[in-house]
Amino acid sequence: MNVLITLRRLAPLVQTHALAFWGGMLGLLAARLFEAYIPYLLKEGIDYLAATQADSKVAIDFSAKLGPIALGIAGCVTAQIIVTIISRILIRRVGVYAAFELRNQLFNHLQHQGPIFYSGYPIGDLMARAINDITRVRELIAGTSRTTMVLVFTAVVGLVFMLNLSWQLTLAVLIPAPLITFFAHYYAKRIFLKSQKTQEGFAELSTFVQQNLNGIRTVQAMSQEPYELNRFREANQRFADDNIALFSDSSAIGAIMPVIAAVSTLIIIGYGSHLYATDQITLGTFTAFFSYLALLLWPIREAGSIVTQWQRGISGTARVFEILDHPPEISDTTESDHPELTGRIQVRDLSYRYQNKNKDALSAVSFNVDAGETLAIIGRVGSGKSTLLRLFVRLLDPSEGEILLDGRPIQSFPLAYLRQNVCLVLQDPFLFADSLGDNIAYDDPARTTEDIMRSAEIAALTGTIESFPEGIATILGERGVTLSGGQKQRAALARGIIRMSPLLVLDDCFSAVDTETEEHILSGLKNLRQGLTTLIVSNRVSTARHADQIIVLDEGSIIETGSHDTLLAANGFYSDLERKQRFDKVSAL
Amino acid sequence: MTTSQRRDHAIFDADLPGKAMSFADLGRILTWAKPHRGLATVSLALVLIASFLAILLPVIIARVVIDGILIEHPNSTLPDLGLIALTQSLSEISERSPLIIACLLYGVLTIVCHSAYHLHRVTLAKTVMYALRDLRQDLFHHIEYRPSTFFDKVAVGRIMTRVTNDVQALFEMLMGVGMLVGEFVPFFIALGLMLAIDVELTLYLLTALPVFAGLTYIFRMATRKIYREIRNSVSQLNQNLQENLSGIQVVQLSNRESLNFALYKNVNQENQRQEIKAVKLETSYGAFMDNMVNMALAAILWVGGGEVVQQTISLGSLILFTQFVDMFIRPIRVLGQQYNTIFRAMASAERIFQALDWDEQLKEPQAPAVLPQRLSGEITFRNLTFGYEPGLPVLEDINLTIRAGEKIAIVGPTGSGKSTIIRLLARAYDFSDDSIFIDGIDLNTIPSTDVRRRVGVVMQDFHIFEGTVLENIRLGNPEISRSAAIEAARWVNAETFILSLPQGFDTPLNERGQNLSQGQRQLLAFARVLARNPEILILDEATASIDTETEQEIQSALATLTQDRTSILIAHRLQTIQEADRIVVLKHGKIREVGTHGELMALGGIYFTLTQLQFQDLRSIQ
Ligand SMILES: Nc1ncnc2c1ncn2[C@@H]1O[C@H](COP(=O)(O)OP(=O)(O)O)[C@@H](O)[C@H]1O
Ligand SMILES: Nc1ncnc2c1ncn2[C@@H]1O[C@H](COP(=O)(O)OP(=O)(O)O)[C@@H](O)[C@H]1O
Ligand SMILES: [Mg+2]
Ligand SMILES: [Mg+2]
Repeated sequence: MNVLITLRRLAPLVQTHALAFWGGMLGLLAARLFEAYIPYLLKEGIDYLAATQADSKVAIDFSAKLGPIALGIAGCVTAQIIVTIISRILIRRVGVYAAFELRNQLFNHLQHQGPIFYSGYPIGDLMARAINDITRVRELIAGTSRTTMVLVFTAVVGLVFMLNLSWQLTLAVLIPAPLITFFAHYYAKRIFLKSQKTQEGFAELSTFVQQNLNGIRTVQAMSQEPYELNRFREANQRFADDNIALFSDSSAIGAIMPVIAAVSTLIIIGYGSHLYATDQITLGTFTAFFSYLALLLWPIREAGSIVTQWQRGISGTARVFEILDHPPEISDTTESDHPELTGRIQVRDLSYRYQNKNKDALSAVSFNVDAGETLAIIGRVGSGKSTLLRLFVRLLDPSEGEILLDGRPIQSFPLAYLRQNVCLVLQDPFLFADSLGDNIAYDDPARTTEDIMRSAEIAALTGTIESFPEGIATILGERGVTLSGGQKQRAALARGIIRMSPLLVLDDCFSAVDTETEEHILSGLKNLRQGLTTLIVSNRVSTARHADQIIVLDEGSIIETGSHDTLLAANGFYSDLERKQRFDKVSAL
Repeated sequence: MTTSQRRDHAIFDADLPGKAMSFADLGRILTWAKPHRGLATVSLALVLIASFLAILLPVIIARVVIDGILIEHPNSTLPDLGLIALTQSLSEISERSPLIIACLLYGVLTIVCHSAYHLHRVTLAKTVMYALRDLRQDLFHHIEYRPSTFFDKVAVGRIMTRVTNDVQALFEMLMGVGMLVGEFVPFFIALGLMLAIDVELTLYLLTALPVFAGLTYIFRMATRKIYREIRNSVSQLNQNLQENLSGIQVVQLSNRESLNFALYKNVNQENQRQEIKAVKLETSYGAFMDNMVNMALAAILWVGGGEVVQQTISLGSLILFTQFVDMFIRPIRVLGQQYNTIFRAMASAERIFQALDWDEQLKEPQAPAVLPQRLSGEITFRNLTFGYEPGLPVLEDINLTIRAGEKIAIVGPTGSGKSTIIRLLARAYDFSDDSIFIDGIDLNTIPSTDVRRRVGVVMQDFHIFEGTVLENIRLGNPEISRSAAIEAARWVNAETFILSLPQGFDTPLNERGQNLSQGQRQLLAFARVLARNPEILILDEATASIDTETEQEIQSALATLTQDRTSILIAHRLQTIQEADRIVVLKHGKIREVGTHGELMALGGIYFTLTQLQFQDLRSIQ
């Protein structure tokens, strides 16, 4: 991304506050004029004082001469302060507004991205963009651009005043300028690269710590702490070294600049004395030049860091817009035709292949489920069961084939409507660090306690809730850490049950639940969901046998279909499974 | 009852009030700089040299050039720090004009001065960076060894920012404070010179100091609350976003996008409101501090001008005053600018020290027991009672002896405390002495790391790290070779699926293994433990997400692995536990039945019912 593209992307954010922004910039120009006028007044004063030294009679109208000058300086300072405050507030506010707007956009955009997107961007990375990079965009809009303008204004205004005082001395003073520009540019590049490196180092450190803490229980259970500490030590050392290298460079440029500027000072001393001696300039002009040099020096010196700041702002903008430009994987439709759905399913030649995989996770799968039926899906690890279910709620869109719901392709329903009607309970039960009740009623916080308790009852969670002193108001740890595996699973299940959607899809939701409890839940579900369609993935024959229809997946294809009885009779994978899960091997002992 | 300490973890997550300036904390930070004090001394010496030279430079211009050369001033006896004399004698020796000598002097001093400044800054940065590197390492080390009770309660994001952002905030502050020295030294030298030249004028200028100090104080008071609000809203924004991203699928599947967006927008709005307030205050204060200096020029011209006219001071001295104004006001200005950094850093220091002082830890034995080379693996539970919260026992009066080499299965409804027993065996939580023994040794007399090295647990809540498949099996343990890791993967039947991945064992995985199926993740977690060849093997629902087919294939490998090795397995599918020597039935935290399958079936209790339930339908069909 270059400057122009960045500016074009950011323009709309500024445009809504154009008046404040450009008005502020104009104010800054005015402030520079007041500022540059001060050395000029000082010069007048010193010239007058020099004259009194030569001829003491001049000193008689001291108050009349020096009074207005001193007051003028005070006036300029006051005006400069007031104008600066107003304009800076105007501009910095635009930055705050822009950050607000961008944050909202980013949040909203992230909410509509699918699993493919999230497998490419770890959460830590996205957080960094939302926090650090948006801050950089804000700085670019309200800080860097402002400083740049101030620099230009200061340089131009300062030069005009200097030229006005003595053009010879002005040109002479500018002789070392190219040298300054050269060093500024040279160091700006180095500093930019190094600061990028330290930023990456910081991100690396953060990611490392975060991932380590997320897995701390695994780390500790395996006594991995020493290895983790060693890995941290390396990253930590690198980060320290990179920081020192960066700091050395910025300190070096901070030292080189004044030395080069000293050349200008020497020119004023040498050439200025000569001009003074030959009466071409006054003593006041001579001293004023030191002040103007200080004024000019600042923009020249800052030029380097301004370049760095621009680069930083540009890369931050690029990183934010990289996300904002990411098209949603799943296209939504605004189709407003919302028929009542019964939950009849037709799946035709459905295939799916993950990115960077050379094999289909699901290939040419076809089956039908009538409204009100229950379908069980069985298959080995990695056979594509979860993939199939994700396609139903359009977390993924199929590579080939289609799913029809009540005869219509699911793509033709608005996404929200589809997900309202098709409820998937994920295999990995995620719970928010919130109260248990809020977790169950996650789709609609307005749900009543009776509603929550009813679905908790079906999910066999009532006993658990009663055992907590605070009942459904119990606050869970991050990801629900304070619950047992089965409790988490059942809480997630209750969250799905409460919605009473025409199609309920359960992805291996009983794996951590004992058979007795599972039996209880399944019969409850059967009662509750009469006439509604349910899909269940399971590894247990005891679960599958409740279903009207069973399909067996293997390596992404359906290898058997039928009811429990027909499949048992077929003597294939399913009947084999049933035999293995049966108990008579033990009973025979 | 449990011995784990009771603590209010809310304190850890709460936003600390933040003392403005705590010298105790500052002093404590400096203890990490102690090993680098040589470097710090050099840095200090350099800044003293540089500051002194920095003062000489304007003196050369004002006194030597203006007073001494441009306007011949007969009685310029006012301080020039010997520079006039030096210039004159140098010019006599070299037979050059004093102006050239003055220029040369100026040039040389500038170079030396800024070189000294540069070296000062670099040595300072090194001192600070090394100190903070060590602090960060200590902090991470400390956190890494906190017990599960700690991680159960505090948010990962909050701990993380302490190790990263908070330490970084200290860097900025320490550099700022370090460099303030470089501002204050010239301040005092300049003050001395100015007093020597003109006491009255200097006193006039000094009146500005209390004004600036007062303003800074008011600013500090006004922004204090706003900064706190900003910090709160920012951390709320981040937490909000983080939770939303972690649970994005649940969010989307529950159609919560618009509601969550509205919630986020509210916090964002509040943040914006506070930011605008801060902008107004900061801008006013900053612009005032930056530019008020020039007011002094008016005073110098008026008061000093009068004295020049009366010939009590030289014109050069007056010009010197105008040059010194900046040096004079700078420390206060810098202090004002740094104030924010310092304030934030003090809050960071407080958070860091809170974490470092958080001494919640597992009981470790005073006199560790000496373990045999290889444990025989006899495990005894004696009157074990345990609860996570006081008054809520999760396990009650557990008594059980597992013989060396025995295979035990634990069954029971969810939440009955199965995983809890395992966690205690792996020393994740504290429990009373003399309740668990391994080979007759009280578990509490063995250091927790020793226990964990010998007891291998395939946890129910395992974690897949970002990294390759191989790294996830080895987990950084250098003792596990590549071939050993592959062998372990083969035992759990994971080799086939791993080899079908694009880069086999070197395929990178996302955090939490998002690009694998749940069952595949579980197989990896399984392989990871087997690769360590533990003396006691515990499987906590390790095959729950794995199909029966695969499980049976693992079973045969496992049979060999658990030969003569004590093993405990928790499972729900009854055919999984059929291999066990004995079965323990746990319910509501109590052991209800123990025995072989046959014995329990004959007993006709809980276990019997469970079996019947699971298979009655199957039977009736046949
Ligand atoms: N996000 C992903 N990226 C790449 N590959 C994936 C992803 N999720 C699953 N897979 C692969 O697709 C296959 C099917 O996975 P899945 O549908 O989860 O299986 P399961 O039948 O166990 O639910 C597996 O081989 C798995 O490794
Ligand atoms: N870290 C924890 N903090 C507080 N309570 C917990 C924690 N872990 C588990 N519990 C509670 O302890 C009980 C037993 O849990 P657990 O041993 O995991 O059961 P399971 O038999 O299903 O493995 C449950 O009621 C659970 O809510
Ligand atoms: Mg799955
Ligand atoms: Mg458990």
